[in-house]
Parts: sequence; C-alpha cells; structure tokens
Amino acid sequence: MRVREVVSSLTFRFIARYVLVLSATVTLIVVGMYSFYSYNYFSSLSRSIMEEQQTLNLVYEGQSLAGVEQYVRDQGQSQMIDHFYYLVSDDQGNKVAGDLPAATAYREFEGGWLGFELAMLEWGKSVDLEFLAREVVLGEQYRVLVARSYQEAVAQGRLVLHTLVRTMLVTIILGLVGGYFAAARSLQRFEWLGREMTRIVRGNPSQRLHAEAEKGQVRELAQVINAMLDQTELLMHGVRSVSDNIAHDLRTPLARLRNRLSQLGQELPPQHAESVAQLMGDCDALLASFNAVLRISALEAGSRYSGDAQVDLRQLLKDAVELYDPLAQEKAIDLTIDALPAANCRGEADLLFQLLANVLDNAIKYTPGGGTVRVSLAPAASGEGYQVVIADSGPGISSEHWGDVFRRFYRVEPSRSALPGHGLGLSMARAIAQYHGGDIDLEDNAPGLRVIIKLP
Amino acid sequence: MNILLVEDDAAVAEFIATELTRAGCRHTLCGDGDLAYDLARKQQFDVWVVDRMLPGRDGLSLIRDLRSVGDTTPALILSALGEVDDRVQGLRCGADDYLVKPFAIDELLARLQVLRRRASASAEVETRLQVADLEMDLLQQEVTRGGQVVALQPREYRLLEYLMRHAGQVVTRAMLLEHVWGYSFDPQTNVIDVHVSRLRQKIDKTFDVPLLATVRGVGYCLAADEEAQ
Repeated sequence: MRVREVVSSLTFRFIARYVLVLSATVTLIVVGMYSFYSYNYFSSLSRSIMEEQQTLNLVYEGQSLAGVEQYVRDQGQSQMIDHFYYLVSDDQGNKVAGDLPAATAYREFEGGWLGFELAMLEWGKSVDLEFLAREVVLGEQYRVLVARSYQEAVAQGRLVLHTLVRTMLVTIILGLVGGYFAAARSLQRFEWLGREMTRIVRGNPSQRLHAEAEKGQVRELAQVINAMLDQTELLMHGVRSVSDNIAHDLRTPLARLRNRLSQLGQELPPQHAESVAQLMGDCDALLASFNAVLRISALEAGSRYSGDAQVDLRQLLKDAVELYDPLAQEKAIDLTIDALPAANCRGEADLLFQLLANVLDNAIKYTPGGGTVRVSLAPAASGEGYQVVIADSGPGISSEHWGDVFRRFYRVEPSRSALPGHGLGLSMARAIAQYHGGDIDLEDNAPGLRVIIKLP
Repeated sequence: MNILLVEDDAAVAEFIATELTRAGCRHTLCGDGDLAYDLARKQQFDVWVVDRMLPGRDGLSLIRDLRSVGDTTPALILSALGEVDDRVQGLRCGADDYLVKPFAIDELLARLQVLRRRASASAEVETRLQVADLEMDLLQQEVTRGGQVVALQPREYRLLEYLMRHAGQVVTRAMLLEHVWGYSFDPQTNVIDVHVSRLRQKIDKTFDVPLLATVRGVGYCLAADEEAQ
C-alpha cells in the first residue's frame, strides 16, 4: 500500500521518467559512437584486403604461381593473429596453396565481399574467429581468397555492449531506488502538511504549522499556509466581531421595545394583551440569544479563569439534576444520577451550573418520552481533574456533525428548530468548559449521545 | 420609594427615570460617582441604583466607600455585560443585587421592590409567614392552607418561602433561580415554570381562591386576590 503510494507519487514518477530518458540518451550516444568506430574499422579492413590483393596480383605477374605460393607461405609464418589468410585454388576448385581450408561455408555480402567463421588455434586454444574475405582471379587459372579476421571489432563490440548494459542497469536501479527514497521523504513531508492542516482546520484555527523546523520549499509552503491561516483567522474574527457588534447595538433598542410593549400590554384591553404578550415573548427570546452570543464571545475572547474559588462539582450536579427533574418527569424521561464521588474543581459556580444546565437541557429536549438520561461524575482517566458524563437515549448525533454542533446557532436538522432554544447551548457549554481549562467531547451512546465534560 | 439613580449615560438615565416616575417612585438622578457619594451621605434613600462605569468614582468603589462609613441602604448595580465574573465582584463589594444591561424595566422594578422590603423587614425575626389562608411555620417547616397540611418537597418549600416573603411583589424567574436555587444563569427553557406549576398544584389546586398568579412576561406573584396587581 505504502509502496504503491510512493511509486505513484509525483516525485517518483518524475525521477523515474528522468532516469529512463537519461539511460536512453546514453545508450543512443554509445551506440552511435560504436557505429562510427565500426564503420572506420571495416572500411580500413576492406581497404587493406584490397591492397593485399593488388600485391598478390603484382607477385603473380612477376613470379607467377610459385611466387604467390612463396608469398603466401611467408605470410603464414607470421605469429600475429591479425595477419592475412589465403586460399589459392585452381579453376577446378582444388586447393593449390594457402592456410585456409578448401571448403568453407561463405556468407555473401554485397560488392563481392564474403564472410565466414573459422576455428583457429591460438595459445593452444581453439577460438572461433570471424573473417572478412574477397576473391581475386590471378591470370586465367587461379583464384585467391584473401581473408582477414575482424575479431578485434567483435570483441570490442561485445565489450561495449556488456559495459553499456551493466552501466545502464546500475544507473536505472540506483536512480529508481534513490527516487523511491526521495519520493517517500517528500511524500512524508506532504502527508505531514496535510495532517497538520486537517488538524488545524478541524480543531483550533489559531494553531500554526512549525515552519521553522522545516527546510527549503516545505518551509516556504508552511509559511505560506501559516499566512493563509492568519488571514482566515482574521476574517473569522472580523465576522464574529461584526455579529457581536450587531448583537450589542440591537440589544438596547430591543430592551426598550420590550418595555414599551409591557406598558402597552397594561393599557390595552385584555383581548389585545394576548398578542402583546406574545410579542414580548419574542423580544425576550431575541434578547436571550443576543446575551448568549455576547456571553460566549466574552468567554472566548477573555483569558482563562484566574480566580481560586472552589466549586463542589457533586453538589452542582445534584442541584442541576434536581432543577431539571420535573422537566424530565413531564416527558416521562428517567433522569438518573450515579453515585457521585466528592469532587472539587476550581471555577465559577454560576458558569459551571450554566454549562451543566445547557447540556442537561439538551439531553432532555432531544430524548423522546420514556427514554433515559444518565448523569455520572468520575475522576478523569488522565488522573487530573474530573469528567462529567451526561448520556441520553435519544436519536443521537451522527459523528460527522460532532464538530459542528458546538458552532453558534448550528442545528443538526432543520426540523429541530421547532424545538425551543436558541442553538447556542452547546457552544456556550464549550466556551465555559474551555474558559475553565477543560473541554467537551461527544461520543456515541448507541443509541443516543454521550456528552463528556472534562474539567481540571 | 425614594431612589438614588447613579448613571452617567444620559439616554439610559432618562429612560430609567421615566419608567421610575411611571411606577410611582421618587428619584434623584446623578451622573458622577463623587457627587453621588456626597448625595448619599447627606440624604437617606430607600435604594441606590448604581451603574458600574462612572466618572469620578466607579460604582463598585462608591458602594464600598458608603458601606465603610456604615451606610446599609440596599444597592443594586447596573452593568453592561462584558466581564464574566463581575457579578461576584459586585456582590462582594457590598451591593445587594446586580442587573445586567439591557434589562426589562419590570425586572428592575421587581428587584427594587424586593430590596426595599428586605431592608424594612430585616429588623424583626420572623417565625411564621402568612398570605391569606396560606401559612408557613418557619420553625416547624410546615405549610398549611385553610388548616390543611400541604406536603412539600424541600425545594418547593424554599420556593414557596421566597414567594411568601415577597408576597404581593412580582418576582421574576431570574430572581427565583438566584435565590431559591442559588445560581445565576440563563435557562434555555422555562424550567422554572415547571417547578412553579408543581407548587401551584399543591397549594392552589384544591382551593377556590388561587394565590399564585403568573404575571405575563415578568414572573410570578403570590398574593391574596385583593392584593394582587
């Protein structure tokens, strides 16, 4: 899986292509050079054979056959492997002189050239040698075959071929292995970038990549991404502060409106007072939303809780459950509270109560009649602080929405807006938890939802 | 009721002053902390209503200074929301109640009534409370109506006690949460209404004359019929 990822990565594909092109180019150059060398070699070889034939012709003209026999014998004495070989035969085809056998299988090339292979004894070993040969007619009766080995060229060709193949193999293997590691490393860095960015985007948008720990282009990329995150955060803050300003500016006139309505309600006859009361209720709901938005902003913008008041979490939970118990009973929901350990937590009681109330309120609101809501308190698994778990048997929230439900005014299903509440309960709960240095997590209660409130 | 209103924002001050006049309260308006100190030293008011942010001397210092010279006139702090734990600070410096702006004027009036009543009643130690034929024995912790014992849960008892102590006054839901449950917070749903309707079941259901009335848009009022509103 991992290998396939690396091999299909951009870097590896690029390096592989580069290695292949490089190998092909080198091969072409070597082949070209060898061809050039071979051409020269063979043209000088053939020229030397033709010159030898002319020499033989001269010898024959001067000294007739005996002279030729003598000349051929002299040449055959040579110890050099690269000397000329001869076959002198009469018009009947019988061998007259020379060191080549009479019957040899020739390959015919164009221009009267012949080629053959012959086993030769060299340094006590039989070696197959390649020959290039040409026949010349001496006078009317005799024919002389002059041959010269081109073994040197064959050996050199073989050497060049072997060298080429080995070099290319090593180059390709080294190139691909190196490319693999380079690609794996760059892939690793990009995967790291991707993971970090996902974490930042999903989690805390005020976090940044550690650009300083990186080198080169990854560092530049990380810096660009950080700048982008800065920009995004600035925009988010802008949007938030605009909404805060709107809430702030609308609150006072809204309160005034509500007060006027209240007076109007007292002055109007009872049949109109009903609709005025409804308007007042709407005003109250709006004001509550505005206040909640501003409260969340104040909690999120401010520093952490710095007081040293101790809150008895157990008592707080008992009070919250007691407050909401009648509401649960009205819906026939079984609101139970587990045996609670004593738990003291540094914080502000009113805020923490608000946090518990919001979560309990949600749990009761979304649990259908006859369901259960369980509240428990335990020391945190990490050993420090406590965690309060409020688990319901309602429809729950699918995990893809878990991050979103803490956003302001977010509702999982539009249909739920039919239920009372301003959609700020959970975001306020999280703001309070984080203000105290804690956090809120969601888990599946199968069925239902578990809200885990961690407090230090 | 004679009220000292210390508020430097002219618009807000005028608005509150108009509403106080309408509700039949006399008041003195002052926009500066130091001036307010002098006024409060010279003159006896029933309640002080003090904004937190003031020129001269801020609201918290004003109340702290007046308390340090032995003045126990009830004080209510008005504050623009912003600081998260300023309520605690406000109450710690000697204020009796705390209201966050913007507020419904009914809420302010209800709280002022309670503050004045509390100041005048705190002298005597009560052992019984009575509203019409509803009686509460604070020593026995027993509630009877028309001679019949009404069995109440502890929280219902405290809820009724608060309502009876403020009989004839309108108490808001926020006041009930603060004083009966001891937490100042913003319930998302009308959880208080459920508690009140349970209490009403017990004290009013079997009797002809209802005592516990809902004041629309404000809160509740426990009163004998002729007293209500």
